[in-house]
Amino acid sequence: MKYQSHQIALNFYTASVLLFLVQALVGIIAAFQFIWPDFFILNFNTIRTLHINALVVWLLMGMMGATYYVVTEESETELWSIPLGHLQFWATVIAVSAVVVGYIIMGLNPQANIEVFGTRLLNEGREYIEAPRWADILIVVSVLLFLLNCFMTILKTKKFTAVQGVLLGGLTFLALMYIPGMFYTKSMVKDQFWWWWVVHLWVEGSWELIAAALLAFMLHKLLGTDVKVLAKWMYIEVGLVLFTGILGLGHHYYWIGTPEYWLWVGGIFSSLEPIPLLLMVWDAFRTTRETRGVVENKIGLYLTVAHAIFNFVGAGLWGVIHTLPQVNKWTHGTQLTTAHGHLAFYGAYVLLIVAMIYVTLPSIRGVKEFNQSRGFQSFWWMTISMIFIVITITGAGMVQTYLERLLGLDYVTVKASYNLWFWIFRAIFGVTFIVGVWMLVKDVLILGRKPAA
Amino acid sequence: MTTTSAKNLFIYGSLLCFVVLVILTIDTMGKLDQRAPVITEKVDAGKKVWHKYDCIGCHTILGNGSYFAPDMTKATERKPKGYLKKFLIDPRAINPGTAMPSFGMSEQEADDLIAFLDWTSKVDTNGWPPKPILAAAAGTRTASMGQMLFQKHDCSACHQIQGIGGTAGPDLTYIGNERPDVEWHIRHLKAPDAVVPDSAMPGFNDLSEEELRQLAEYLITLK
Repeated sequence: MKYQSHQIALNFYTASVLLFLVQALVGIIAAFQFIWPDFFILNFNTIRTLHINALVVWLLMGMMGATYYVVTEESETELWSIPLGHLQFWATVIAVSAVVVGYIIMGLNPQANIEVFGTRLLNEGREYIEAPRWADILIVVSVLLFLLNCFMTILKTKKFTAVQGVLLGGLTFLALMYIPGMFYTKSMVKDQFWWWWVVHLWVEGSWELIAAALLAFMLHKLLGTDVKVLAKWMYIEVGLVLFTGILGLGHHYYWIGTPEYWLWVGGIFSSLEPIPLLLMVWDAFRTTRETRGVVENKIGLYLTVAHAIFNFVGAGLWGVIHTLPQVNKWTHGTQLTTAHGHLAFYGAYVLLIVAMIYVTLPSIRGVKEFNQSRGFQSFWWMTISMIFIVITITGAGMVQTYLERLLGLDYVTVKASYNLWFWIFRAIFGVTFIVGVWMLVKDVLILGRKPAA
Repeated sequence: MTTTSAKNLFIYGSLLCFVVLVILTIDTMGKLDQRAPVITEKVDAGKKVWHKYDCIGCHTILGNGSYFAPDMTKATERKPKGYLKKFLIDPRAINPGTAMPSFGMSEQEADDLIAFLDWTSKVDTNGWPPKPILAAAAGTRTASMGQMLFQKHDCSACHQIQGIGGTAGPDLTYIGNERPDVEWHIRHLKAPDAVVPDSAMPGFNDLSEEELRQLAEYLITLK
């Protein structure tokens, strides 16, 4: 380990892959509940909250780990405060555990979700941002401590690199965009309006900035490509991400009670959102092709390129198919959104963090050669499973759109009868997905610790 | 393009887009209250009930949420409020086949929640959800008077016949076998809970005696 600070990055990586496993396990429970609603002691709402909150938290922890790594390596120094980094890690773990315990209590006894100071004690009852207000405040404090540590580290050696700029810019933007979700509005329309600021400007804004910065970092580290060339393309990519993504927010404002002009704004800008993602794919391929010499960390490069491809397919293509208002009028709120959500998060962010772990973990553990076959196996188990999960949910969404929305059949009938086989296949591929996640967790724990086979 | 110009384009272009978003947001905020009914205290209390029980953990509202259970935007248009109230308090007592668990909701909470859902059903959503385009074309050609009444009063919002219709009330596919008595149906349609204790179905007193008979005669043909 070159820097002691990298132990903090490693802690974050370990916690994030473990939470990934938890996310996949509760995902399986949710998948079975589609077939058999009373399958588990906790109802679907609690399981789904855990599934998605675990996803968001493990990706954020992965991003934090990656950032601690990048900042120390780019600044060529230890973190401004190593104890603060450890404190921030453990504070995050404790806060997240407390929130999870709260969700479970509320799931077992809904009446326990009492009102305290005008807000709910255990579960705010708002999708994705269910965490209660006290937890929101802890999350903000944790992110501020994290940002402080990173910025002070950069100030120590004053090496203002492009990657660090975009990475921390994206993280600051992320922190700021959490605020619109932290107040109560009496109108459900305004509630959803601000809620989308958080959700959309995170995943289709700030998170894509972080992805572009990490992509440039990984390509440089893996292939030794000239930083200047990578930086130029990174700026073009993140520029296009925000030109299309900020006003692309309009595609969430078609049907929630907002004025009609959003149909135009959302339709036009969100249709352009795949362009920067396609550019990232091209960037990854071009950089790889132009590289001379042997790439040592093949699995790292493989995952980096796979991230770029699946970011484009999942977030770009699977999103753009139902982004036009003419189409979305029929598909809004159907399983097609679920299909898009699964492939987009897998491609854009799961593979990003997994790639980042494989690119940096060998350096953290101080090895050059390591057993790469486990990484490839885990990648294929997860990726093939996810492709089939997405195909089954896409099929379910198409059937639902036709039967429920166009033909007027009852929602419950379509879900319980016509879509049953899709749910069964989805659950089966969910189980094979877990096999891949389990391999990943095991590999992260042992990579580089034993001699390469 | 140099790295610096790409960087400047990114920074200033993004800021410009963000400024446009802020302007559109301010404009939208000024218009939202005209596109929805007034929010009474009861509606607000209902919204808090919605959050308390994490309804969005299974349902969608305005199309956003969890896709596990039906969309609630137009719930009060689709189902009678009396039914909704009984259902919310104890779902499985009303519809044994439902996936919805009992949360221990009080009468007051159920009333508030229904007021909130009534508010959402009246929000101007640019025409969402659209009316199913093919439903109108299905099965209306050779309909009897009773069958037309069945459609006119939207009985299929709650009842199914051969797989088509809602699941809130009992399936009527074989009701002619199960309840072959026309007079029973007439009494039941007038005042359901006088015939079936604790029934959550609303009475259809606005139908004439003749219409009730036609509807009942149609029902006993279902076998």
